[in-house]
Parts: sequence; structure tokens; C-alpha cells
Amino acid sequence: MIDFMFMLFAGITVLGALVMAFHESIVHSAFALVAALFGVAGLYWTLGADFLGGLQLLLYVGGVTVLLLFAVMLTTRDTMRLSLFRYVLMAPVVGIAGFFVLRAYNGVEAAIAATGHVPGDPQPTTQAIGEMFLAPDGYLLPFQTVAVLLLLVLIGAVTVARRGQETTP
Amino acid sequence: MNLLAVAAEPGAVSGSLSSYLIVSAILFLLGLATILTRRNVLYVLMGTELILNAANLNFVAFTRFGGYELDGQMMALVVVMLAAAEAAVALAIVLRIFHDFGSIDMTRTDSLRD
Repeated sequence: MIDFMFMLFAGITVLGALVMAFHESIVHSAFALVAALFGVAGLYWTLGADFLGGLQLLLYVGGVTVLLLFAVMLTTRDTMRLSLFRYVLMAPVVGIAGFFVLRAYNGVEAAIAATGHVPGDPQPTTQAIGEMFLAPDGYLLPFQTVAVLLLLVLIGAVTVARRGQETTP
Repeated sequence: MNLLAVAAEPGAVSGSLSSYLIVSAILFLLGLATILTRRNVLYVLMGTELILNAANLNFVAFTRFGGYELDGQMMALVVVMLAAAEAAVALAIVLRIFHDFGSIDMTRTDSLRD
């Protein structure tokens, strides 16, 4: 069962990412990104990360992509054609990067296999995550830092987006 | 186990660590390809999101298969929150760039002031 779910969500993820990377229209790409991020949320669920999957749905699928779509529709006026030249240029770079990524993953995978850990049944994670975020010897500092950062980002984003519009009546 | 051998043999891909790593590698490489081939700033942002998701998928997969309690998931949670913040600021900047330059072509945005 988990294999079927894995194949399903992995397929959604990879297809979405492929369409996003190579489609001509940016609106189509943005919607394909929604599919890819949804697939990643599903993969989190198959990994037993229920809370993280939900957060991925809320923040990425619901939030970031809506922002992206707004920006796409507010700014894109002319279509920038894909140039074949750039693809020819980037293919070896991506190939080399892929080689090193797979090599690194092989090393990490060997290290993890050496721990000999066998994953058990997934447990609900929400309560444990909440307790870890509020434990002083856990993740309290990152939690507070992110809270302050989010406030700064809110103010900063509004300031950056508004400036200059005061000069135009 | 060699990842390439796993990828070539469909029967071996079944909810193991390697299968998640392969998906993550594909996500990373497609994100990289997007960033390298497009001139539109928004595409670069989307490629960044893909790469962040690839890293997050790794964190969660390592947590599950390496038995690291919840530490990887906590990392992934913080990354998701930071990615949301990054997207908000980046899109505000994109709107400013569009306002100032009349285009969001990366190759044409070459100054920070008028």
C-alpha cells in the first residue's frame, strides 16, 4: 500500500516538476509547481510526517503559489522565449551536478544503512513537534527567531512593495 | 547500494531510502535546470522552491530511515517557514523591479538605483 502511495505521489511530483521546468507559459508552470509541491506533501505523509505534510499543503500549496500566481499575473507582459542555446549550455552543468549529487547520496545512504535502523510504524508527530518547539533545550530559540523574522518580513515586504508609489499620484 | 542500479531496476524502488533520494535528486536537478535556463525572475524563484523541497525531502527521509527521532522534521519545518518568508520578500522585490524596469528579465536588471 505504501509503495503504491509512494509511486503515485512520486509520479505527481516528478511530472509537475518536469512540466514546470520546460513549459513555455509561466502560468502553466506555476500550476505545475502546485502539483509538484502537493506531491512532496504526499511523500511526507508516506514518510510518516503528517504534520509537516499538512504544513506543506497550507504554506506552499496554499500560500507561496498563490503569491507566485499574483506576481505572475501582475508582472508578465511579454513572453520570454526559451532559447535552445541556453539548454545546450546548461545540459552539461546539470549533468555534472547530477553526478555529484548521486555520489553524495550514495555516501549518505551507506552511512544510514550502517546505522542498521529499521523504521517502525509511523506515529502521530503533532504533539511531539509542539513539545520540541517549546522545550528550552530543544527548538525554542529557532522558534522565537523565526517568529521575529516573520514580523520583519511582513514589514519589509510591505515597505519594499509600497515605496515609490507615494511619488506617483 | 548503488542508486543508479536501483533506478534501473523498478522492482527495487519500493518505499526505500534510495527511492526517496532519487525523487529528491530529480527535483534538485529540475530546479537547477530551471534556474539556469530561464531569464524570468519568477522562474528562478520557482526553481529555488523546487530545490528547497528536494532538501526537505532528504531531511524527512533521513529522519525516517536513520532513526533520528524528529530532528529532521523540525529542520524541514523551519525551512518551510523560511521559504514562505523568502517568497514574500522576493515577490515584493519582483514587483519593485517590474515597476522600475518595466520588465522582470534578469539580464536587464543591472542597477539598484535610478
